[in-house]
Amino acid sequence: MLRKSVLPVLLLGLLAGCGTPTADNPPGSTITVKNCGIDVTVAGPPKRVFAAYQPAIEMAHALGISDRLVGTAYLDAEVLPEYAGAQAKAKYYKNLPSREELLAANPDFVLSGFNDVFSAGGGSDESFGSRKSLAELGVQTWIFSPLCPTADGKGDEAIDPASVTMDNVYADLRGLGKLFGVEDRAETVIADQEKRIAAVEAKVKNAPRPTVAILRPGLEGGGLTVSGGPDFGTVLIKQAGGVNAFADLTAKRNVKIGVEELIKRNPDYILISGCCDAALTPASTQPDVDKLLANPAFQNLKAVRNKHVVPWLFANHSAGVRGAYTTEDIAKTIHPDLFK
Amino acid sequence: MRLRAAGLLLCVAVLAVSVLLSLSIGNQHFGAHDVYLALADFSGSDNDRVIRYLRVPRTAAGLLAGAALGLAGALMQGVTRNPLADPGILGVNAGAALAVVGAIGVLGVHSLTGYVWFAMGGALVATVVVYLVGAIGRGGATPVKLALAGAAISALLGSVTSAITLLDLSTLNEFRFWVVGSLTLATGPVIGQAVPFIAVGIVLALVLGRSLNQLALGDELARSLGTRVMLVRVMAGLAVVVLAGTATAIAGPIGFLGLAVPHVARTLVGADYRWILPWSMVLAPVVLLLADVVGRLVARPSELQVGIITAVIGAPVFIALVRRRRMAAL
Repeated sequence: MLRKSVLPVLLLGLLAGCGTPTADNPPGSTITVKNCGIDVTVAGPPKRVFAAYQPAIEMAHALGISDRLVGTAYLDAEVLPEYAGAQAKAKYYKNLPSREELLAANPDFVLSGFNDVFSAGGGSDESFGSRKSLAELGVQTWIFSPLCPTADGKGDEAIDPASVTMDNVYADLRGLGKLFGVEDRAETVIADQEKRIAAVEAKVKNAPRPTVAILRPGLEGGGLTVSGGPDFGTVLIKQAGGVNAFADLTAKRNVKIGVEELIKRNPDYILISGCCDAALTPASTQPDVDKLLANPAFQNLKAVRNKHVVPWLFANHSAGVRGAYTTEDIAKTIHPDLFK
Repeated sequence: MRLRAAGLLLCVAVLAVSVLLSLSIGNQHFGAHDVYLALADFSGSDNDRVIRYLRVPRTAAGLLAGAALGLAGALMQGVTRNPLADPGILGVNAGAALAVVGAIGVLGVHSLTGYVWFAMGGALVATVVVYLVGAIGRGGATPVKLALAGAAISALLGSVTSAITLLDLSTLNEFRFWVVGSLTLATGPVIGQAVPFIAVGIVLALVLGRSLNQLALGDELARSLGTRVMLVRVMAGLAVVVLAGTATAIAGPIGFLGLAVPHVARTLVGADYRWILPWSMVLAPVVLLLADVVGRLVARPSELQVGIITAVIGAPVFIALVRRRRMAAL
């Protein structure tokens, strides 16, 4: 439906662009914004948005487009309190829908907090299909820029570490603001984020920089999964006046390490990244904290000795509008005397 | 006789070296002296803790699971006269793993003692099902038909295991070890609980050596020599279930070890099961421990699970065995 209306308009736009250099955007013309190297073009603000994953859901609420959501899927934790009311009204899928289920909701725009829904060949159960294959059906798509893969269809293994910045979150807010016609709201959100993050950075400016590890639970199993350099946690820890203890591991966002590697690195703080339930709170991860604290192999870790193992959330270290909240949260944890 | 006994002693010495390597090589390398101090004079230092609480449990897991799988493979090959028999190939490990994952994921069993019972139950059911499926049709349970039935059932059980792990993504990391085996799975207490089971399995297996020799002559001849064929089969089956089930409970499903090692033992000591069994029991943990050491070194700072390494080593052995002309029966 959209595809039919977009193409002629797009052609007109191109012709106009060639013929009359003075042409402004006349009413009803298309808007194009680049996202992860792909042109995202809409004829008017999208009206049927599907938001996949926590960061996308929270960003949609932050931009004030909650009433345009035809579906939200796969929360990692409770949404921030300011979005709870809006989220309660949204249709929610516990698991990601299949490509068919997604298309049955008839979205004109898919906003994804992570890149994996568009990776792997289209049509597999765990994938919505590549962005190109969705565009061909008239569904425009958006990946959070700090997770841009180097090519459409690729995933986490293809993130450019240089793109993992808060500035790219702002770029997303601006781009989406333009597409959805909510530019003022986007600027308000950006200003709020910038102000809060700057306040934290000013406060921790001269403080020592403790090392912080973000650890997925499942600690009894043997290997561990930590956040590596390309994970957004690296940026957030830095803003909060710390250093990601595993920032030098840059192959993937989630890096598997042997248990002995954690002992060798001996971070000052360990944040336990609990995940993947709409009702999850930091307190839900307390059992994993207790397990780690009780493990005899870890008794010499600074974080264990000082009880600096913190129940925490995977949702906190995803790129998105949690940036300011999480920066404040980590700073309070690792610089308690500066935030009394 | 004397030569084979001396050889067995040599194998034990090689095993001792493997144990030392497993204790000293890894993310950091320790000398024999460090290892000795960590065990004899524990000071609570980082090194001591790494050795005592990480390397000792995984080495013990390797010893127990290796011995169990080596014996289980030799027993299965002997009792079925099937050169392709192996608890991995014949679905025993996959059944045990599924039962454990089901117990954790569906029934919510978290008591570690519980794992062993579920693992043995799963091993038993899978063994019976694979045998029944393999025996369908003309010619009965031929080696290749059993192996095919085992592969098919393993794939089926493995996909159910994967499905359960996918239903509960939050604990996926914990579960992943039940899809591919690893020696880092078990902690000290679990290994302690496994010891009596493995010990029973070992005794049961070793006393069967003579009967397996007679069974190798064919059921008729064995019977005429006074062997109670059915009893031997049941005892051996019991031992396999206990050994493979317990091995899976502590290390997850590890394939190919029980297949390859008895063949190596057979090549070295001949067809006498009174020697094949103990040699398999000692050589299998050597292979498993060395495979685990390799897994620690090739993907640093991460580690490759030992089940992946044994599959990489074992798959070519399996192919070679299938292609060998006179494979039809032992």
